[in-house]
Amino acid sequence: MPAITLIEAVNMAMAHEMGVDNSVVALGEDVGTNGGVFRATDGLQKKFGKDRVIDTPLAESMIAGVSVGMAAQGIKPIAEIQFMGFIFPAVDQIICHMARMRHRTRGRITLPLVLRAPFGGGIHAPEHHSESTEAIFAHIPGLKVVIPSNPSRAYGLMLAAIRDPDPVIFLEPKRVYRIVKHEVEDNGEDYPLGCCFVDREGTDITLISWGAMLHETNMAADKLAAEGISCEVIDVATVSPLDIETILESVAKTGRAVIVQEAPKAGSLGSEIAAEIAEKGIFNLLAPIGRVSGYDTIMPYYRLEKQYMPTVDRILEEVRKTVEYS
Amino acid sequence: MKTFNLPDLGEGLPDAEIVRWLVKEGDTVAVDQPMVEMETAKAVVEVPSPYAGTITKLNGQAGDVIQVGASLVEFDGDSSSSASQQEAQATPPATENATTSAAPASTSQGASEVFKLPDLGEGLPDAEVVRWLVSEGDSVTVDQPMVEMETAKAVVEVPSPVAGTISKLHGQAGDVIQVGAPLVTFGGGSASTTQAAPSEAPAEEASSDAGTVVGAVEVGNTIVAESANSVVKALARKLKVDLTQVKGTGTDGAITQADVKAAAKSGNAVASSASAAAVVAGTDTANPLSYKASPAVRALARRLGVDLGQCQASGRKGSITRSDVENAAQGRSTASANVASSQARPSNSSSSTSSPSTSSGGNRLPSVSITREPQTVRGVRRAMAQGMAHSHATVVPTTLVEDVNISAWPKGTDSLARYIRALCYASRIEPALNAWFDGENMERLLHPNVNVGIAVDTADGLYVPVVHNADQMSMTESRAQVQVLRDKIANKGIKPADLADATITLSNFGSIAGRYGTPVVSPPQVAILGTGRFRNELQLTDKGIVNQKMLPLSLTFDHRACTGGEAARFLAAIMEDLSKAQ
Repeated sequence: MPAITLIEAVNMAMAHEMGVDNSVVALGEDVGTNGGVFRATDGLQKKFGKDRVIDTPLAESMIAGVSVGMAAQGIKPIAEIQFMGFIFPAVDQIICHMARMRHRTRGRITLPLVLRAPFGGGIHAPEHHSESTEAIFAHIPGLKVVIPSNPSRAYGLMLAAIRDPDPVIFLEPKRVYRIVKHEVEDNGEDYPLGCCFVDREGTDITLISWGAMLHETNMAADKLAAEGISCEVIDVATVSPLDIETILESVAKTGRAVIVQEAPKAGSLGSEIAAEIAEKGIFNLLAPIGRVSGYDTIMPYYRLEKQYMPTVDRILEEVRKTVEYS
Repeated sequence: MKTFNLPDLGEGLPDAEIVRWLVKEGDTVAVDQPMVEMETAKAVVEVPSPYAGTITKLNGQAGDVIQVGASLVEFDGDSSSSASQQEAQATPPATENATTSAAPASTSQGASEVFKLPDLGEGLPDAEVVRWLVSEGDSVTVDQPMVEMETAKAVVEVPSPVAGTISKLHGQAGDVIQVGAPLVTFGGGSASTTQAAPSEAPAEEASSDAGTVVGAVEVGNTIVAESANSVVKALARKLKVDLTQVKGTGTDGAITQADVKAAAKSGNAVASSASAAAVVAGTDTANPLSYKASPAVRALARRLGVDLGQCQASGRKGSITRSDVENAAQGRSTASANVASSQARPSNSSSSTSSPSTSSGGNRLPSVSITREPQTVRGVRRAMAQGMAHSHATVVPTTLVEDVNISAWPKGTDSLARYIRALCYASRIEPALNAWFDGENMERLLHPNVNVGIAVDTADGLYVPVVHNADQMSMTESRAQVQVLRDKIANKGIKPADLADATITLSNFGSIAGRYGTPVVSPPQVAILGTGRFRNELQLTDKGIVNQKMLPLSLTFDHRACTGGEAARFLAAIMEDLSKAQ
């Protein structure tokens, strides 16, 4: 089994599915000749030809619109938005058409498409390249929003996203594109969508995170274990629809929850998870729900990026506060 | 001749394409006159001339890609530089044709790599070398600080973008380096993180090529194992499969996703929906999670010392409510009261009461809970709060303390009248403290008369009635006036006019207790005298050791309005007057 990075796992999953399903195509800016600015589609055009790996103009609205059209006709497009910050010209297509086609046609037309976008900060990128706006799309009914946190999950969840009969926004945490490797077997086995993954079992507190922040969360859990605080760590993975049952079950067991996210705090996915826990699990809470997040400000340019990003220390502080609450 | 090299057009992009020249060779241009339209990966940008002069050569034509730092325009020798120190040697003039392939120094394809000074922020054109943190020949790692550079804004550490060996440092401490000019040359063998060598071993090709993005994605080679178990469990939960009933077919009998799917299909191992809840409904009464209660209810139970196990659970979904806890708390105290009275009854039933405090059976006292609501601060107390805050926010207070010997006072001297007289006397000697001050308009008013405010302590709060024109009064008159004012306060008959226009204030806290204090000046006044409790003190005088009566004084003045000298002279005058016998 090759040890591969998250970005290579994305590539492997796409290559696998394009190999077994001729209706799968990839399109986007620089996905062909260049192989994608992060190399997500590296080698795919050489392997599957220019008809199936299509370089598009710099026009995100068109990329999303063409994908909707293709998918409506039975093609399974995997469209790349080069950075999530560039997704906004495509939002009309995504929200007003992609998300609603099944509903609009009373189930007669579904859109088996994947819209990929690297997102999140921490790579010293210019403006518009570092935001975490997953909550905007998680808020839209009709879209699934999936965020892998490691190479295995990128592979399994990408396969599931391509095979899903409905549109999936697949957000790739680019900061951890190459940070670790997993041995991933290219066996075509997908992972279930709509499931949280309980990555670490614990008894004192539930840490809930997704995407790149799971790395800081796991590091914090390691340090807390040394202090005698036993953390249960949940990778949300599919942020919409949210598998709240798994989270509630865990919180019922531990009585405490801290949510860790890179996005700003207000109106975020963390807000939604906290609200669900408060609504359905409040009787099991021993302490107020804690949140570690980015700040409610424009994502700063790279010189101040580190000050913005939630750190292991901030997670430790919030967990200790929550555990010591009385 | 001057050469203008293509500057960084923003965001650290490596090159730009010529869209259209706006000038011709032989043209004379002014500073900031646009010369050429260049297209980067981001935008079309007009590039202005940094010099005034005549253009001798345009390098490249429309459609050519020019590397950042490569020669773009050459000017004749007479051109007067207005902008920069950047001379031709800052970048090697080796760019005969300035198209993509012919800018050798700018990219990392060769054995050595030149690191150019990046924009250290805010678009400043250059930075000065403060101190090198590395020397030639050093090996550096990615992000290791190499040099401290000072821009017009700050001193910044510049980290290495690559791991490798430094072959040359361009410039030394004190040199000003232009943005885009070479800063450090790395020797061969440096492995760039942002732009890796194009191919090492074919197998590694994919992972060593980090793409064509502005930015730095952290690269690690640690191999981590996926927790496959968590995926299988998640799938089982989704498909409602009870894993304990599934036979594993994976390595070492591990259950795989396929096993779970097969079990779900056959319907053999359906998890009961209750199993999820079973986790919650523990029976361990020592575990607080065995009971369902909101954090507020738990806090109440903690405060009342109630064990949740002793509470009924009458709330939704078997949760314990606030009233369950309160009932348990009450039930417990009545229960203990009942025990107490039943114990008392056999011995003397007539004297038994239900009050637990009379019980003698070694019972613990019942807990008492009292609720205290905060009360609105009104009237005089509110005025005091606002006045003090205003003073604190505006006045610059300084307090002088001193003792005055009042041994000469005959028995029965009215101290308050003496204090008032002393204030009037000192105000004549040093008028600066008997004044009003307006810091906003920078105005000062020295009063010809002395209106002494007297701090009066009452249950309602602090009153400061004013003895107007105290300087015109005898001691008897002023003393009588103070009494009139006190009576008015006691009878709630005090009028606003009685409280207005004080020019200086007296706080006789010593009549209660306190030696020195820091009385608070009440603007627009500039001074307040605090008189402490007098005491007897043995002093060595020319008559031997003598008992002396000492009165402590604390004078606070607004240092915006008065000098320290004025205040000290004022205090000296007060002491002079107070030390007199009559």
